[in-house]
Amino acid sequence: MQSRRHAPETEETGIDLAPMLDFTTNLLIFFIITTSFIKEAGTVVTKPTAETAFGRETGNLMIAIRENGDIWMDRRRVDLRDVRPMMERLHIERPDDTVVIIADKASDAGVVAEVMDEVRLSGIQIMSIAADPAS
Amino acid sequence: MRKRRRASGVDAEQTGIDLAPMLDFVTNLLIFFIITAVFVKEAGLEVNRPTSFEQPQEEDSKGIQIQILENGEIWVDNRSVDVRAVRANVERMSAVNPDAGVLILAQEKAPTGTLVEVVDQVHLGGIQNITFSTTQ
Repeated sequence: MQSRRHAPETEETGIDLAPMLDFTTNLLIFFIITTSFIKEAGTVVTKPTAETAFGRETGNLMIAIRENGDIWMDRRRVDLRDVRPMMERLHIERPDDTVVIIADKASDAGVVAEVMDEVRLSGIQIMSIAADPAS
Repeated sequence: MRKRRRASGVDAEQTGIDLAPMLDFVTNLLIFFIITAVFVKEAGLEVNRPTSFEQPQEEDSKGIQIQILENGEIWVDNRSVDVRAVRANVERMSAVNPDAGVLILAQEKAPTGTLVEVVDQVHLGGIQNITFSTTQ
């Protein structure tokens, strides 16, 4: 009698995984959707500040220019001549990509101009120079 | 009678799909995506570059020219001006010629910080059409 009463109770005390699974799947879908194909520059530079800086949703290819003129993209240092072929490849893969040039405050304007020219020659027309929005 | 009913009840419970392996798999995927997620958003300013064939036209157009020297000095209308004065100059000149664009001529060694400040001031002055060129 007693054992018979216990048996169904133990079976019902098992945790119902369905809501947890729902929740986890939602999280999963969220992270899959928000995964954008951002190519980080991979170096830290001191960005200039500008009051009129605005964020563009699609700015996802980042090229950093350091104080000493080094160009960084995709987490490694590249030569100026490598920028164009790399950009051409990325432009073919995802034609909607736009470029953000993260130039150090103290970097030369000439290097920025050269990088912009290389990017434009690769076929990407929309690019911006990164700046911190002034508060 | 009662015994038989209980047995069938147990059967029905065992035919439910076991969600645990699926949950393991989904959780692993979730952890992977959390780790690889990058949330970077860069704010920036847009400037044009003159194409080689339109450069001479830009030079002698009625647009506003701003020069930036190597040492960070800013020259408008053959006068050295402060960064904060750029906005006033641009506002004055755009009032005269509202369609004018701005041409920023920076020396190659001019600091990018100054360039961005000038672009910012020109934007504040109400002109969005900025072309950026470098000189020796």
